[in-house]
Amino acid sequence: MSPAIVHFDDVTVCYGRRPAIHHLTASWPAGSMVALMGPNGAGKSTLLRALLGWQPLATGRITIAGSPVADARPRIGYLPQRTLVDWDFPVSVRTVVEMGRFPRRGAFHAFTAADSQAVDAALDEMGLTQVQDRQLAVLSGGQQQRTLLARTLSSGADIVLLDEPFVGLDPASVADLIHRLRTWAGQGRLVVAALHDIALARRCFDQALLIRTHLIAAGPIAEALDDHHLAEAYGSDYATPHAASAAEGALHDHGDH
Amino acid sequence: MSEWLTWLAAPLSSDHLFMWRAVLMCGLLGVSASLLGCVLVVRRLSLMGDALAHSLLPGIGVAWLVCGTSVTALLAGGVVAGLMTALASALISRLTRLKEDAAFAALFITLFAAGVVLVSRLGTPIDLMHFLFGNILGLGDDDLALAAGVSTATVTVFALFYRSILLECFDPAFHRASGGWSAATHLGLLALTVLNLVAALHALGSVLAIGLFMLPAVSANLWCDRWGRMLAWAASYAVVGSIVGLYISYQAHLASGPCMVAVLGGGFLISSLISPSHGLMRRWRRSTVHHREGTAERCAQPGGPEAGL
Repeated sequence: MSPAIVHFDDVTVCYGRRPAIHHLTASWPAGSMVALMGPNGAGKSTLLRALLGWQPLATGRITIAGSPVADARPRIGYLPQRTLVDWDFPVSVRTVVEMGRFPRRGAFHAFTAADSQAVDAALDEMGLTQVQDRQLAVLSGGQQQRTLLARTLSSGADIVLLDEPFVGLDPASVADLIHRLRTWAGQGRLVVAALHDIALARRCFDQALLIRTHLIAAGPIAEALDDHHLAEAYGSDYATPHAASAAEGALHDHGDH
Repeated sequence: MSEWLTWLAAPLSSDHLFMWRAVLMCGLLGVSASLLGCVLVVRRLSLMGDALAHSLLPGIGVAWLVCGTSVTALLAGGVVAGLMTALASALISRLTRLKEDAAFAALFITLFAAGVVLVSRLGTPIDLMHFLFGNILGLGDDDLALAAGVSTATVTVFALFYRSILLECFDPAFHRASGGWSAATHLGLLALTVLNLVAALHALGSVLAIGLFMLPAVSANLWCDRWGRMLAWAASYAVVGSIVGLYISYQAHLASGPCMVAVLGGGFLISSLISPSHGLMRRWRRSTVHHREGTAERCAQPGGPEAGL
């Protein structure tokens, strides 16, 4: 498969007549961890929705390794926000991971040995083999998140989009999740996470895309998230070093609870 | 023993064709309505199902006034009323500040009141009672034919599109992201719900019909931790519970529809008490359950990520 490079070329997305993203041009290289950042309402979710093909583009185009998004859909794995998933739903961990194979098999075709192997491998890699017959609600937050990662893994996706994946996880689970995502990036996958925690992004991600309906900065994390750009995205209060570290501390504390 | 057999056989003697029809109706609609009830429960649409059932009344009422008891006309009236409620509430929630559930609640009670006014003005009090609470002992062959068609269609759809329905119920965003027919599945399930409601109307009326959908599903949700098992449990419970209710109503000379729904509801209340993993009893056994989960947690620590995909 050609490298998982996502390219946005002059992309504008509108809700009704109100543009949520203006003329955005940027690239996400394969094998990297991209932090998608910006204040609330900046268009982070809209950009993910556009990439998933749920939101029509008013201008421009999005390509994956040079092809239109519609042709590369099986390559995209999407993890919704934790709070949007019904963890009480009557399914086992294994069934959720099997869902990653449903798109390949369609509605009618039976699972093959290759499907079972892919599911076993995904459960094993995510350390879920021992809990595969459990219902989701009795798992820890970290295990629940890993169940969704295993589903992405079994689907064979190499572009992984995560919407606020660290919200509500304890520090050990955050560290574990980061470690797994970094491993995936090292294997050539493209990992993109929408998040708010600037300190976490600086520590663990390679690339950033900072937006506030329009592009503010894109590229290597240190340059994209410098004080000047952060002030432009989050307001001038953020520029002073004191306010920045205080805000980061608050964000970090928030992430720990 | 032979007394029991007599008790069981008495309502089904050859001159009791109405009881045969009622039992058959329980079997047909018990299965399909409870399958859709499971979807409504896990998608948190339980109250919307209730609202939809009530809002069918004016459509059915108008059809009945214009065409009499023609099943085709009743079906058309119910489907039109159901679709109009769904569309109008979607429009109101988009064009005003009201949320969709508020729009639905406001619309259904308005339509229900209009339906009651219509039927009570132009029919007899008995007609109104039948529209509200059904008349399962007065079913005709065309009612059964409709129920058989709707039930077969529902079971077939669930068997053929099991994976799509599971994905749509558990994680619609993932379903859509992976290229599934998310919107079509959702709308198809809603359409089947309207069809089943219309088919159940003559038997249980617009007030009670939803009981056959929801009560087996919520009970099954308390017992089952797997989707397939929940569907099978709900369907079996709906058939058995409604037939038991029918028998009790026959032997004790009680109103049939309410008796069936009351029996199903009794089973739900018992389930919510004694279900080992999700009932109120769980609270009394909490310490042991926590101990077990803690053990499982320690067993399931990741052994570190492994390469090789």
